[in-house]
Amino acid sequence: MKRRAFLGYAVAGTAASLLPLATADAAIQQGGQRYLRPPGAPKEDEFLDHCIRCGLCGQACPNRAIKFFGMENGTASLDTPYITPREQACILCMKCGDVCPTGAIPKIPRTAEDVMAKVDMGQARVDETLCLSYQGKTCGVCYRACPLQDIALRVGMLEQPHVSEACVGCGLCERSCIQIPQAIRIIPHHS
Amino acid sequence: MSSPDSKPFFLWRHLNKLRWLSLSIVFLMLILIPFLHLYQTYIAAHAYDLLYPSEKVIYDSMETLTAPFISDPENDLDLLKGTTWSGRLFGLDLSDPLALAGQIAASGKLLWPFVLTALIPIGLTLLLGRFFCGWICPASFLYELNTTLGAWLRNIGLHTGQRRMSRKFKYLVLFVGLLLSPLLGSVAVAAIYPPAIVGREIYYAIALGGFGVGAVFFAATLLFDLLVARRGFCRYLCPGGALYSLLGKFRLLRIQRVVEDCNDCAKCNAVCEFGLDPLRDGFGMECNNCTACIAVCPTDALVFKVTPKDQPDRGPGHLGRQYRRAHNENAEDEHEP
Repeated sequence: MKRRAFLGYAVAGTAASLLPLATADAAIQQGGQRYLRPPGAPKEDEFLDHCIRCGLCGQACPNRAIKFFGMENGTASLDTPYITPREQACILCMKCGDVCPTGAIPKIPRTAEDVMAKVDMGQARVDETLCLSYQGKTCGVCYRACPLQDIALRVGMLEQPHVSEACVGCGLCERSCIQIPQAIRIIPHHS
Repeated sequence: MSSPDSKPFFLWRHLNKLRWLSLSIVFLMLILIPFLHLYQTYIAAHAYDLLYPSEKVIYDSMETLTAPFISDPENDLDLLKGTTWSGRLFGLDLSDPLALAGQIAASGKLLWPFVLTALIPIGLTLLLGRFFCGWICPASFLYELNTTLGAWLRNIGLHTGQRRMSRKFKYLVLFVGLLLSPLLGSVAVAAIYPPAIVGREIYYAIALGGFGVGAVFFAATLLFDLLVARRGFCRYLCPGGALYSLLGKFRLLRIQRVVEDCNDCAKCNAVCEFGLDPLRDGFGMECNNCTACIAVCPTDALVFKVTPKDQPDRGPGHLGRQYRRAHNENAEDEHEP
């Protein structure tokens, strides 16, 4: 019995000593990878303590844009949903918010006004040294991919893209960019 | 010989098979749901001709399976989503009480729509006790198969773990898990709760192309059960089991021993997955009403009763040798004077 009691204390002690390590680990690793949270998600702290890691948002996503973290973004992010727009971007269907049981992803009606008012995954930024249109070769692919054409993304001469404040950060422009590496990318707003 | 309430309805002794049916259905649903999701994504992509042959197999089989029931698969199939941790069962949102406890601990807030989804499971747990563990939990399904594997291994002469520990340890795990949640800023129990892990990992494996971190943890618990203690994780470590045991402390539906019919054979104690002591009326709050003991009892001495309390130990069974010997001695004492 004594040995068992000792083992119990040993396990509890180890867990207690690992605790600050785990929290520090999470703090350090945040921001190591560029990712988006699903549309409408609040700031990172609030999102992490609301999300119960049920995976329903991923199961609802018709575009299979929502993937789940392993340990690469810290222990606090384990099994939480994220979007890498270059791989698969959000089509703003708002189904993830519909199924989210806790409201970590809020329910947002699928109208342009509501989406623009409540979704802020990030904002697109154009790298003019990479963008073909800024190099004199008319492209305009990002503009055609944008679901908020002429509101979030306008084009000027030679289809040069100009991002406005209305951009919600869905990432469809980054997904569609024909340059490698992409000339337009989403700067996340989650933290 | 037997009292009237030990003659229940005819399927009595087959409840354990019914339980296995329930476990299997839940597990198969957890496999089916990711495939249904893939089917939905293929429909949403409007590109049947561009699918790989293997994807076409999924598309065709899911179409055959669901076509009789729904007209608009892309949206109608949203009514069946998720896992036992939190999910949508034919339009009814249900969540695990531990998910609610963990979420409240992590955020310090009551999110009412979410609280409502956990009410039905909480109510059922108050009435039926830890029934989730025996009748629904997809990890239980694998753990019980693991127990069977352990029995086979013993049959061929290998050693498996039969260590006993303190059952109270899982309450510590629950307590520490909930305590850590606000410090970590995340629902810590979600990462160590096997049914949540199993549901997630099946989805990851089918829809996202591979197992995640949780699969490693779950494999470790399987090894723990096999090498250290039989059903060790559920008995001694599971935070969900701890929560249900607490909720089900005053459950109304209980298995009880009819002492008049018991012959002290102790098969119930041998078969009990949670290491309880039905032979001495030791059910307690951790009995999950799994009915395995009912199925093996040769004299039908274990029955369901509707009562909020266990009966105290009623001594050796009246059909057993110990009771008969004592009883005969008494009879002789009465005759002698």
